[in-house]
Amino acid sequence: MPMNPHDPSLVHTGTIIEDEPLTLVQLCRACGTHAEWVISLVEEGIIEPDGKEIHLWRFSGVSLVRVRSALNLQRDLGVNLAGIGLALDLMEQLKTLRSRLNVTGHC
Amino acid sequence: MQYKDYYKIMDLSRDASQDEVKRAYRKLARKYHPDVSKEADAEAKFKELGEAYEVLKDPEKRAAYNQLGANWKSGQDFKPPPNWDEGFEFKGGGFTGGDNSEFSDFFEQLFGRAGFQSAHAGRKTSEHLRGQDSHAKIHIDLEDSYRGATRNISLSTPEMSTQGELLVKHRSLNVKIPKGIKPGQHIKLAGQGNPGLGSGEAGDLFLEIVFNNHPLYRVAEADVYLDLPVTPWEAALGAKIKVPIPDGSVELKIPPNSRQGSKLRLTGRGLPTKVPGNFFVELQIVLPLASTDQAIEVYQNMQQTLGFNPRESMGV
Repeated sequence: MPMNPHDPSLVHTGTIIEDEPLTLVQLCRACGTHAEWVISLVEEGIIEPDGKEIHLWRFSGVSLVRVRSALNLQRDLGVNLAGIGLALDLMEQLKTLRSRLNVTGHC
Repeated sequence: MQYKDYYKIMDLSRDASQDEVKRAYRKLARKYHPDVSKEADAEAKFKELGEAYEVLKDPEKRAAYNQLGANWKSGQDFKPPPNWDEGFEFKGGGFTGGDNSEFSDFFEQLFGRAGFQSAHAGRKTSEHLRGQDSHAKIHIDLEDSYRGATRNISLSTPEMSTQGELLVKHRSLNVKIPKGIKPGQHIKLAGQGNPGLGSGEAGDLFLEIVFNNHPLYRVAEADVYLDLPVTPWEAALGAKIKVPIPDGSVELKIPPNSRQGSKLRLTGRGLPTKVPGNFFVELQIVLPLASTDQAIEVYQNMQQTLGFNPRESMGV
């Protein structure tokens, strides 16, 4: 009998994105956005895929998070590409500093 | 159905780079924009341009279009060859936010009418569309990454009823947490995203890993940190002491004359990732209180014997 994917007792095994990075199409689908927007994020240096040619691009979980944040920044605050890049980098720095504070026990 | 030569429409050669496609579009869009252009057929040309750009700017669609071959002439009667789109996937991802409702039959025949984002709003259920991917965070303990675990997550998924109403469905899911997972990584569960429309397949579910705060340990990337309280004599004389680590305990050798805050590394005892992280022990020297006569005597002895001034470098 085939397994029912909605059986509540079933234990689901997924794949870790870092082990199987996303293609451009998969990233677009995961974020509900279109290729041109993602390409412009790459051109702006906001996300950095592995692979030189577009069809060889592979995106990590970091890119996934950044694209989703970028979409929110654009939708909610009307931030343009340069602003999105700046905001994401500053948010990233803040996160790193916070976790460093946490690691050295001052937080 | 008439074949459309998208390269000709955009005045590009077939080997034009993506940058050239973008530039050509910007240039022609300015020229033919209905609000700007004085040419009689500007509107039709602008639509045609939008459609051509929709295909040529998207590497996936462009590659599939190129596969049709260069021998077709604009306006020629056209029927897509069987399996022409094998190995390509247009459902969802490739469509831009542009208004594609007025694209030609040629476009629709090749790439469908999707427009994925608006798929759930007011669509007829006779259509078959892939469900959207969904996202959630899953909170785990540090130990889960050391040993691997199964965790349960509750999800709320929007679903369309057969009457076209939007309902929120609650469900829970058991997820296997693989050994060695790091904070911020994502687990993808195929087919556990939002349900598709009609017989369209479900989307995928992306789970972002978040570590719960731990009373003893802190995590940065694959490295794990522990503040370890030690006595002044353990730090000064050196010692072998038992130290807790997330998957048990180890004997740790403290070298003589260790200072407050000294970091000791246990190589490869951090998170069991492919290249295992390290476990860092930071020494915290704890002073016993001078609360008994004997303790006071010991401190007085130290004072007389050691003649130690920790403020020497301050010149006082």
